[in-house]
Amino acid sequence: MTTASAASRPADAVTLPDGLPGFEQCRTFVVMSAPDLAPLTRLQGLDGSQPTFLALDPRLVLPDYDASLSPADRQRLGAAPDDPLLWLALVGLDGQRLFVNLRAPVVINPARMLGLQVVAADSPYSTQHELLLG
Amino acid sequence: MLVFTRKRNEAIVIGDGIEVRVLRVGKDGVRLGIVAPAEVAVHRREIYDAVCAANRSAATTAADASTLAARLRASLPVSTTRPGA
Repeated sequence: MTTASAASRPADAVTLPDGLPGFEQCRTFVVMSAPDLAPLTRLQGLDGSQPTFLALDPRLVLPDYDASLSPADRQRLGAAPDDPLLWLALVGLDGQRLFVNLRAPVVINPARMLGLQVVAADSPYSTQHELLLG
Repeated sequence: MLVFTRKRNEAIVIGDGIEVRVLRVGKDGVRLGIVAPAEVAVHRREIYDAVCAANRSAATTAADASTLAARLRASLPVSTTRPGA
């Protein structure tokens, strides 16, 4: 898709061909990591309302988190079976309460700069997994 | 809204390559089979709506990200160092 921002699109932009549910008009994102941001990652949208998200690897929240993709989703990402993928669970803050969307992680294939938000038909995880901060 | 009456094993076709078939009609619900191209996402409405709502609330997080990150580093159950991070 060509947009007004396409000309200035950074080389490290990741394309999410379907966008994110609720933000379908935003298809390109930049993934930003910084030492003072770790373990969070910033997902900055470049199109539409240019939404900003904070995210973290769901395996940091639940060490036994099932980070596996359906063959169809793997195909959408153009990922070979042993390609390393970036798993990002979006984080929401409500007052002092922190919620992590473990139900629908954003998965990015760095080799192809392609991503999608996985919305599996069945999942044991919550879209609002509360994280208790010390 | 387009409304059809369908019996078990009858289907409707949407556009090029999407089929919705009634597999079973029971007291508690209707079981549907969907055939769609791989690039067409198919979701239950309530799950899709929950993901929309979670995304909207995540995007409006006006957090001080580095303060939040420091609190997370102190709270997470496992090491936050990983290769390439």
